[in-house]
Amino acid sequence: MLIFTLRRLSLFIFTILLLTLLSFSLSFLFPGDQLINLTGQLNASPEQLAILANDYNQQFGLLSQYFSYLNHLFHGEMGYSMNSQLPIATEVLNRLPATIELTCVALLVAMFFGIPIGFCAAIYHRKLPDNLILTVAMLGYSIPVFWLGILAILVFSIQLGWLPSAGQISLLFEIEPVTGLQLIDILLSDNEYKWQAFQDATRHLILPVIVVALAPATIFMRLARTAMLEVLDTHYIKAAKAKGLTFSQIIYRHAMRNAFIKVIRDVGLQFANLITIAMVTEVIFSWPGIGRWLIESIYQRDYTAIQGGLIVLSTFIFIVHIIIDFVYAALNPLAREPHHGAR
Amino acid sequence: MARDKIYQEEEFPTPLMQLWHNFKEPPVVLIGFGCFLFLIVLAVLANVISPYSSVENHLDHLLLPPAWSDEGNVSFLLGTDNLGRDMLSRLIQGTSLTFGLSIIVVIASLAIGVVIGSLSALTSGIKSSFLNHFLDVILSIPSLLLAIIIVAILGPGLENTLWAIIMVLIPQFVHITRNAVREEFAKDYVLASRLDGASSLRILRYSIFPNIIEKLISQATLAQSAAILDIAALGFLGLGAPIPMPEWGAMLANGIDLFYIAPWTVYLPGLAILFSVVATNLVGEGMRHALKVRKEN
Amino acid sequence: MAYSTQTFYNFFALSLLAFLAGCDTNETLSLSKESIIYCSEGSPESFNPQTVSSGTTIDATSNQLYNRLLEFDPTDNTIIPAIAKSWHVTRDGKMITFYLRKDVQFHQTRYFTPTRALNADDVIFSFSRMLDVNHEYHPVSGGKYPFFQNAQLAELISSVEKINEHTVRFQLTRPDSSFLANIGSDSAVILSKEYADQLLQLNTMQEIDMLPVGTGPFKFKWYSSSSFIRYEAHENYWRGKSKIKQLVFDITPRDTGRLTKLLAGECDIIAYPIAHEKIKQHDNLILESVTAFNVGYLGFNTAKPPFNNPLVRKALSYAINKQAILDAVYTGQAEIANGIIPNSSWAYDETISSQEYSINKAQELLSEAGYSDGFSMDLWAMPVQRSYNPDAVTMAKLIQADLQKIGIEVDIVSGYEWSTFLRKITDGEHQSVLLGWSADHPDPDNFFSPMLSCSSAITGSNRTFWCNEKFDRLIKRALQTNSINKRKVLYSKALALINEEVPLIPIAHSKRFQARSNNINGKLLRAIGGIDFNGVTKN
Repeated sequence: MLIFTLRRLSLFIFTILLLTLLSFSLSFLFPGDQLINLTGQLNASPEQLAILANDYNQQFGLLSQYFSYLNHLFHGEMGYSMNSQLPIATEVLNRLPATIELTCVALLVAMFFGIPIGFCAAIYHRKLPDNLILTVAMLGYSIPVFWLGILAILVFSIQLGWLPSAGQISLLFEIEPVTGLQLIDILLSDNEYKWQAFQDATRHLILPVIVVALAPATIFMRLARTAMLEVLDTHYIKAAKAKGLTFSQIIYRHAMRNAFIKVIRDVGLQFANLITIAMVTEVIFSWPGIGRWLIESIYQRDYTAIQGGLIVLSTFIFIVHIIIDFVYAALNPLAREPHHGAR
Repeated sequence: MARDKIYQEEEFPTPLMQLWHNFKEPPVVLIGFGCFLFLIVLAVLANVISPYSSVENHLDHLLLPPAWSDEGNVSFLLGTDNLGRDMLSRLIQGTSLTFGLSIIVVIASLAIGVVIGSLSALTSGIKSSFLNHFLDVILSIPSLLLAIIIVAILGPGLENTLWAIIMVLIPQFVHITRNAVREEFAKDYVLASRLDGASSLRILRYSIFPNIIEKLISQATLAQSAAILDIAALGFLGLGAPIPMPEWGAMLANGIDLFYIAPWTVYLPGLAILFSVVATNLVGEGMRHALKVRKEN
Repeated sequence: MAYSTQTFYNFFALSLLAFLAGCDTNETLSLSKESIIYCSEGSPESFNPQTVSSGTTIDATSNQLYNRLLEFDPTDNTIIPAIAKSWHVTRDGKMITFYLRKDVQFHQTRYFTPTRALNADDVIFSFSRMLDVNHEYHPVSGGKYPFFQNAQLAELISSVEKINEHTVRFQLTRPDSSFLANIGSDSAVILSKEYADQLLQLNTMQEIDMLPVGTGPFKFKWYSSSSFIRYEAHENYWRGKSKIKQLVFDITPRDTGRLTKLLAGECDIIAYPIAHEKIKQHDNLILESVTAFNVGYLGFNTAKPPFNNPLVRKALSYAINKQAILDAVYTGQAEIANGIIPNSSWAYDETISSQEYSINKAQELLSEAGYSDGFSMDLWAMPVQRSYNPDAVTMAKLIQADLQKIGIEVDIVSGYEWSTFLRKITDGEHQSVLLGWSADHPDPDNFFSPMLSCSSAITGSNRTFWCNEKFDRLIKRALQTNSINKRKVLYSKALALINEEVPLIPIAHSKRFQARSNNINGKLLRAIGGIDFNGVTKN
């Protein structure tokens, strides 16, 4: 397990370095002055710019500039937003929790529904339920997410009036941000309308979560179906059948667990996709998250914000990747061992 | 049905023919393939068959509902938008933008990806490992974010979003080519031709590509459905096609402000996107199924 | 196996439903009964309407947080007392004395506790900040006071004196017929000198415009940038405490987003609704409108080629089909603008007719100007809905199609956020822009000086950068007389000059719309200036 952890950690550090290199080079690629792109100090006077240039080692070579940039990053300094002139770190901290909340709940929902349905399809392989599930899955990952979001609002918010259409919580409630995660903040707050606020926040969460979760859920269905079919085709299942175990015993005791492990391995890869979907969904549901902020930043040509958003969002994805890798390793002893031979 | 021949056929179908035989078997796939061809025809002939110009404003026919509604007008089969532009014409011309361009985008990124992928498969050591990790990093950045960054560098506009999407799609082709080429290189028949003294490039050209082409095509259909969705998403977010262009995503974004008075301006482009993505996915699905069947036989 | 999973899922779904169903308890009801959520169209640029003149900022701040010396009667637009309970103008019109109310209390907030009621010092502070360039607060937040600089009040007012604790006297350099109207406009708010002194001591002067203290019916609680503003009732409001405990401005720039929130019951009132027919279909929603003093126009940047050539500007004015714009963009809820003055103003001149629509004339003028092959230009379309222009992007598309007929390629620029957009066009980055003007007060001068005078070209509210000495002389002379007939003649000449030089093409005068749920009572909309939540109730 130690070797496994070290391997993951070194990979993580390497990836983050590459990412910062990418983000650093973006400041050269974006239109305008590189130093201003990096710091976002649009209104700085020439003297202030000179100080900044010194700060970022502009008089030295590129490598030194990069290290100075890294140094600033490690101290949480990502420059200032060109649009609002607030520090990027503050802007990100204000918005990232909302995205974390949305995407993590959506991921769990997608797994919670997708994987069992996929197993179901595999169990009824080439029968009606299987075909039905495959059709639904095909529609699910073909539907453009912005269209789905609009339709969901039309049906559930306007026509049925069940669920709210925008935002994280009704603005009636005043919740002090502590962790930034709305549901936790509500529980921590001493608002007299605490429980109403909690219910309201949950109701706000439902529609966007469903919209974000749909496409990944259909992909999990397919992954789970394939994994289950592969497992059911293995020798140990055949052996179990030969031993006379009932079908449900085989599924529950042997197949499910092994198929589940196979699916978990791919969950991490789907997470980047899920974030893409969440970015568009945030725009449609006015979700105060980092995706909407990034898309608005591009309208404003706020290059500092785009660089900061890239780093933060990608780091978040890597962290989720690694968490899932550890879950996988915890479930599957084989993965913990060092690799032998070719991958 | 009585069989004319009792012996098995002598001629042996080529791999592609075999693929086609397996491919056309499920009726759903055939329908999907038909729709796919239909879309290609629409995209090519868009200017010829659309009844009006996509930017012509019919100011006496603003926000006309589709013809089957009571207030509809047969000369505007799918209604008009808030500037009196014919929805049908716009949808047809949008086919060549959203769908047609997605094909071009995929072909371009396929070509670039295969070249980089095969070159990287032939190299090894630190360079190769660096490339591998670099691709991993790129693949783990959400595709939309990557496209947004590239659009931010190049500036908004249809052409620039196409470049952005090409660049977003390249890594997966590099990845799959690299792995497939590596896999094939390990096989015995390659060793045989290598012993015959063939150069690596020659092996690639004559031995390996014919064997990985279906894998690439199947990946290309996946990439195409992603490309359609990405072009439309960028258009929807106002980063893609400029304002008067009938790109489906941009049309949908334009329709949002009319949603409550003219819902067809939102429904129709959305359906068009859904239709083309489903058709593409069906073709891809059929392709993968056929490949699997052939492998099993 | 299937059985146990089934029960689990059923249990899960049921408990979720039960949890969500028990929502409308009495407590939430009372909370929502005492709060109003207003969905506004954009973020305020500042919380002090002295420093900005955009309608969004005025709507969010002026009547809610502050009071002025004078106000306009909402029904007939006459001047009525507010903080000044009465006033006196000397016969030569050069000395105006205001007698202040003694019971006007400032807001108590988490950042400021007032120790005294409003007095003459506060009034003098509020005006000196804008008029006196040496005042320590003058340069705070950029030092621009667009409304006052456009009206050239610094030249007009020679001094503001304190006569006693509750009497203030303004000395003018010359009589000015629009002075009282200017004092009653939304930008002439009264700030707290005590708060300003406190900030001066703490050396955090810029907070005066971001953490506001005023005397209005609501006080500032929280602002989450481009997301929402939270106000709560001012307990000691001199007109009596508002029945609404909490007022939230939910900033929703997307037109459809606002309508969706209204239909889904997430907003009580929305600004600038679209899809009027849809709102009328709902019995529990009310669509209201008021004839506003405004004009929507296409402005040229006369400092940049090709629009530094009046012939080109004139040519374009022939090429634009205003009627088509009225039908498609305003859905018939507006009148074609012949000049910049709407016909509800007494300065309206019916002899000035709208430019005819003639492609031939446009082409003739273009070739005369040496652009017979056409050219390409950019057209900036404002990203928000205003009453004078409910959909600038659609309007831009129509103009794009119109101008294509005379060989001009139009590149539409939109997508910037509203405050960024304004900043960029104030810097003159545009070649042409779709914009408009809503009057701050009923005096017709408000259409001339802030929009097209040379001084407003410097402060930036004249986005055409057109500066014509003859025009400036005309509008100045009009201010020096009290005779409406004389003024009308001078304004007619000014309008004719605009028609000849075409720094902008007036397009339409429109109504201002608003939609609300039918449990909101009270009159919010004003023909002039921003909305007013004073006296609005919810049942």
